[in-house]
Amino acid sequence: MLELRGVHVGYGRIEVVHGIDLSIGPGEVVGMIGPNGAGKSSILRSICGLVRPTAGEAVFEGRVLTGMAPELIARLGLSLVPEGRHIFKTLTVAENLRLGAPSEDDGAAWIERTLDRFPILRERADRRADCLSGGEQQQLAIARALVGRPKLLILDEPSLGLAPKMIAVIYELLQNLRDEGVTMLLVEQNAARTIDFSDRCVVLSTGKVRAQGSRGELQRNPDVLRAYLGRQP
Amino acid sequence: MSAPRLRSRPAVAVSLLVPLTLIAIATLVGASGTPSFQGTVTLILCNLIVVLGLQVFTGNSGVYSFGQLGFATAGAYVAALLTLPAAFVLLQTPGLPHFIADGHLGALPSTLIAAAFSGFLAMVVGLPLMRTSTLAIPISTFAFLVVVYNVVANWDRVTGGSSGLVSIPTTTTVESAGLWAGAAVVLALAFKWSASGYRLQATREDEVAARSIGIDLMKERLIAFGLSGVLCGAGGALAVHQSGVLNPATFYFGATVTTMTMLVVGGARSVYGAVLGTLAIAMVNEVLRGVENGAELFNAISIGEAPGLAAIGLGLILLATMIAMPNGLSGGKEAGELSWLWRLGSLGSPPPPKPHTAVTKSPPTDRVVKGVLSAEEISLAFSGLQVLRGISLTLAPGEALGLIGPNGAGKTTLLNVLSGFQKPDSGTVALDGVDVIGRSPARLAHRGLGRTFQAALPFPQLTCLESVAVGAMGMGVGRRRAVPVAAAVLDRLNLLEQAALPAGSLPPGSQRLLGIARALAIRPRYLLLDEPAAGLNEAESEELIVILRNVLRDFGCGILLIEHDMSIVMELCPRIQVLDDGMTLRIGTPQEVQADPAVVEAYLGSSFLAAVDA
Amino acid sequence: MTELGQNLIDALALGSLYALIALGITLVYTVMGMMNFAHGEFIMLAAYALYAFAGLPFAAAVTSALLTGIAIALLAERVAFRPVRNTDLSAQLVTSLAVAAILQNVVMVAVDARAQSVETPAAISESTSIGSISVPNLEFVTLGLTGIVLASLGWLLYRTRTGLAMRAAAENFDMARLLGVRADRVIAIAFAISGALAAAVGVLIVMQTGQVSPTMGLTPVLVGFVAVVIGGFGRIFGAAIGGLLLGALSSLLGAYLPEGLVPFRDAIVFTFPVLILIFRPHGLLGGAVGKARV
Repeated sequence: MLELRGVHVGYGRIEVVHGIDLSIGPGEVVGMIGPNGAGKSSILRSICGLVRPTAGEAVFEGRVLTGMAPELIARLGLSLVPEGRHIFKTLTVAENLRLGAPSEDDGAAWIERTLDRFPILRERADRRADCLSGGEQQQLAIARALVGRPKLLILDEPSLGLAPKMIAVIYELLQNLRDEGVTMLLVEQNAARTIDFSDRCVVLSTGKVRAQGSRGELQRNPDVLRAYLGRQP
Repeated sequence: MSAPRLRSRPAVAVSLLVPLTLIAIATLVGASGTPSFQGTVTLILCNLIVVLGLQVFTGNSGVYSFGQLGFATAGAYVAALLTLPAAFVLLQTPGLPHFIADGHLGALPSTLIAAAFSGFLAMVVGLPLMRTSTLAIPISTFAFLVVVYNVVANWDRVTGGSSGLVSIPTTTTVESAGLWAGAAVVLALAFKWSASGYRLQATREDEVAARSIGIDLMKERLIAFGLSGVLCGAGGALAVHQSGVLNPATFYFGATVTTMTMLVVGGARSVYGAVLGTLAIAMVNEVLRGVENGAELFNAISIGEAPGLAAIGLGLILLATMIAMPNGLSGGKEAGELSWLWRLGSLGSPPPPKPHTAVTKSPPTDRVVKGVLSAEEISLAFSGLQVLRGISLTLAPGEALGLIGPNGAGKTTLLNVLSGFQKPDSGTVALDGVDVIGRSPARLAHRGLGRTFQAALPFPQLTCLESVAVGAMGMGVGRRRAVPVAAAVLDRLNLLEQAALPAGSLPPGSQRLLGIARALAIRPRYLLLDEPAAGLNEAESEELIVILRNVLRDFGCGILLIEHDMSIVMELCPRIQVLDDGMTLRIGTPQEVQADPAVVEAYLGSSFLAAVDA
Repeated sequence: MTELGQNLIDALALGSLYALIALGITLVYTVMGMMNFAHGEFIMLAAYALYAFAGLPFAAAVTSALLTGIAIALLAERVAFRPVRNTDLSAQLVTSLAVAAILQNVVMVAVDARAQSVETPAAISESTSIGSISVPNLEFVTLGLTGIVLASLGWLLYRTRTGLAMRAAAENFDMARLLGVRADRVIAIAFAISGALAAAVGVLIVMQTGQVSPTMGLTPVLVGFVAVVIGGFGRIFGAAIGGLLLGALSSLLGAYLPEGLVPFRDAIVFTFPVLILIFRPHGLLGGAVGKARV
């Protein structure tokens, strides 16, 4: 469904991602973990068209994404829930959701269906989004992505800065989506939760893939702890 | 042993000689022509002084001003009124005070007084203007330009109103204009390479990083704005003593566009670029005006008055430059930094400064280490999200404290509070017993608090040596004393080899080290490091551990280390504070922290508990 | 009392005109982050369209001015501003300065450097009496037009999907694109509206002064810039309020300033915002200068 082939990303003369290969099949949930500075966000930015890879390409359902504008990539059915949520704080909750919908006409029905999952958002539909708590903002960010009926949902640090109780709520939500067959790419610094949740995981550090595999494979792989903790345990 | 230098003597010489030679050539060519051609070249050289004035402010600060021609207007009127023959004064400006009207000053004193007046005016105007934001300055300086126009056009009894002044003595020759322009080049370069110039360039490169090394943005901009006013005033004064006539529109919108085009086409960051751009645009302008008016006398400064094809041509050149060549003809480099020039002279690459002679003087190790950085009960919420919930922390000089915790625990926010970048909702921060809540980051830097950022935030256009030296200059240390300090710090961090390279050209790992070097150059008593190892490979991380250990030993400052790589924290910090969800989870030795199941679970997750133990 | 009422209406009318200018500038600024120096030249070119088509029926001439304003704004966006979209704001400002200089001088070459007079419909230069106050009809037109523009902008921004996209793009351009908002389209629409507003201002100025000149855009663009600064960068209706204040101040100073100081009215008007900036560096309504990035 999504395939990265030898993707390099750099800013100016400095390269931060040095050749990443990755493929995600339909219905799969793939995790991407690694410490700060590993290049996770840069990879996501390159998939979504916010930065152009310096080499390599991303292919989504047979179409090469490299060089496409972010809005066109989004219209192919690829939705990013970015780190830090980036909800539109000056807009109302309902307006945020309308923006996520592909068009006004059939959007309304989908917004209704999506709101069924998020009772708290329905309750606050007409309030400005900056009145929401952190957890509610994260729910709004995910809801906004879901309204667009994505084929692939990319989540960047969905649990960042949330209380444990709220993290549980978010992950329950993700579990439901997963059960419905939504394809996901989940990026987290928190290794444990991501490894538990994903079908398989890619471990990055300093711009390279250090290890990948299912939960069992990763826990037997000494490279994981090395990449993640910077030392032999 | 010679003292270390920011640039080699040959590079300095070339940077000075190339623009001066260009001016000399223009002067000689002008002097050999007809009187009208002499007048044209004289005005071009006067215009060059105004462009250099704009370069001093805009080139070093990165902030455009649309008001500098207002200072040229001020200088021109002052010079004209000081030298106008008494018979004409009565006729044109009856309201002029007698002590000015009866002055009859010569060319030199009137030019100097005009320059001083414009400089003073720039300081007065700049005082409020420089307080505003980077975007508001262009607009408010533009407003200033209009205000000046409005005043001189309506103050009939003193300025002659919109019809202006005539019969002003024409004392500026092409030779004198050339000398003044040469002096302006020397002044502009001297400022660029002064401590104040470097501090201003640092704010252009990265405002946040500049504040963290104690640089007062407003003050540095104001100094350059004042100096810029002096040069613009001198340029205006000299020009009016060439043309002999002056009206409010002489230095107005059209001249502003021309001046800005000259600077941008040449490359605003460089003095050489300002000279190159002025001469190139003046020549193009001359040709265009020839096309436009046949053989009519060219007047470089009053383009707005006789507009037409030439102005369209200049506009197109400016537009094309902005789109295709934003660094201008010079590429933003001084002549001594042009590698092609050195190759042309078969001199090889520009010789780098020789900082290896610097290590004679190492930073003092016997500094008095007393006092403490302490924070108490810090709480902070962002739009409803409680990030910090009553955290307390102490750090003593000479001590290394590790600050760890899962992503989102509040580590970086706490560091921002400690360094003055973020004001907490409640709680106190005391630096050596003094309450510092509400103090600016720059003030805190002066009190001995250095920091790095999660991003390296380099000063890309400055060399490594300059980037670190400007840290010392931020503390008010002069240029000569700052360089040995910087060289010594670079040596400690194994960066001396790269001293002459632009900071933006280093690999990420070295840029991070450079950030630490820059913070060390302010001689901090407390150094706050935000994830210094993020993005480093294993070898670089190992090197970082050695370097930080040396820093602790040699510099005697307390280090607060936020780091994801546990091995670095465990190696360096005898005391570790663990944050989780905006609260302190535990403070203890590495062993205690590692053994605490709550810490391991919060930080690494329970499923790795067994793997870590193994 | 009569004089006060008269002065207040004059102040409101000039304030409305300035608000229209500020709206045109701030709309482009919020969406693209560029302070457009060439906005004054959009105004000037629209006014020249009115001059060029003066032979046509008035409504047709006004329509052609409107189309000219929109067309020139779209053209400038496509040719000059799109290539520098991702550079810093200083570079964009200088680029728009270049565009302004080009447009201004093209008119000088093509028409004349001197001002040209334009016939305006007689009805507009007459006045209507309300009680003891005599109000020029043009002030009614200005006030009415401003009301209509504010209402339609409000409707567009808060009631349509395009407006929603524009508000989202104003807050966080990259995030809006990630949701499928088409960047080029939103920016083009902002420029088109800005061009239409410039045309409206151009027509009003011509009807007031009865003439056009190549430099007639300079003062309006400065007024607009200053109004945007006063209103707080990026606040659409803040800029309108800034314009209203500036216009009212200018008009009232004209009425109440001592005789000797009247010529210096503009100097005083443009010094006033600087005083505001000393105390409120981010404008009266305090907009954020930087934009969020994903």
